[in-house]
Amino acid sequence: MERKYFLKSLLAGVASAPALLAACSKEDTVTPTTSTTTTGTGTTSGSCTVAPTETEGPFPTHSPSSYVRADITDGKAGYKLTATLTVTNSNNGCAALAGVLVDIWHCDTEGNYSEYGGSGMQSVNYTAVHFLRGRQTTDAKGQVVFTSIFPGWYTGRATHIHVHVYTASGTSLKITQIAFPEGTGTALAAVNGYAKGLTGYTTNKNDNVFSDDTAGVELATVTGSTSAGFQLAFTLAVPA
Amino acid sequence: MFAATYQEFCLQGQYFNQQRHRSLAELLEHVPGAAQLPFLVSGAVRGYLQQLGGWVPGIVDNLGQSCLRFSQFEFELLASDVLDQAQHRLAISFYSEPLVWHDTVGPYLLVSDPAAAGPAGAFTTRLFQLQPYLAIHSLQVLP
Repeated sequence: MERKYFLKSLLAGVASAPALLAACSKEDTVTPTTSTTTTGTGTTSGSCTVAPTETEGPFPTHSPSSYVRADITDGKAGYKLTATLTVTNSNNGCAALAGVLVDIWHCDTEGNYSEYGGSGMQSVNYTAVHFLRGRQTTDAKGQVVFTSIFPGWYTGRATHIHVHVYTASGTSLKITQIAFPEGTGTALAAVNGYAKGLTGYTTNKNDNVFSDDTAGVELATVTGSTSAGFQLAFTLAVPA
Repeated sequence: MFAATYQEFCLQGQYFNQQRHRSLAELLEHVPGAAQLPFLVSGAVRGYLQQLGGWVPGIVDNLGQSCLRFSQFEFELLASDVLDQAQHRLAISFYSEPLVWHDTVGPYLLVSDPAAAGPAGAFTTRLFQLQPYLAIHSLQVLP
């Protein structure tokens, strides 16, 4: 090859590189949106919208996330808990907020979450791997209802349920936790920590998440009994 | 499944991404607890796995029939980026139920399901070939 042709082909190679790089960083498939929400404890930011539809591959039916379900028990033993969460909009006179996604997750009676991974090769049975985790969309009343079990507890934390609220398109609106009333006559006392009792239990006042919630904003209303099951009601306002 | 896991990454990643990191690698390096993100994202594939009816996809025996049952899987989120779906990479490994290996016939393994022994010591067997992306991950010598 003559030198000038070699240089020409080399230049052509160089010229094509930016095109390839541009394809790798193509962002037109996702439209990022960013919002910043100020909460009591810091700043929360989100930056995603729904991914585009792609070919379905070998699977015949589009399947929603396995989190989308009302009963999140997955066969876990424990006293039945029906949790009704109401989401309101603090930017709209605390009106019911319909059509937002609500994720909840909590631990089992022994204080364990459904988690695996993070430690190398580890396989898991697919039928019950995400126990006690669920996602629903709020109805016209701003409500979602989950069927679960009364959570257990673990060292260092009061009994709690995690909540993450997203807009319909998936932008984070609020990450918070639900606390349980304590003391004589409460559901917490009736359940009595399941098999391990309440020795060494961290109360809400000593909990590093709930201790600053003196107004009880994060405290749910819990009624019922161990035989009939418990009903939890919780309302949270989010800026939407 | 690719799109579903990316959407789940974008959703659940926000729980860990208070500092506006872009990539999964950044999240894993800087955010304590982000290591559970692959597990959380795997929730998006479980419905698809159920559609497989308990059979490892893409692996057929000499008769062209699915031959490996599974209930165990491993989900790996290799890379992702909240602003660029093209960076999203995932891997799913299926772990078959145990098989009894009887012999190797030409390029084929002659195997049977230990839970489905036939009458009077007969075995219902299958012939299948080792192939790319298929490996033996555990071995037990029978007495």
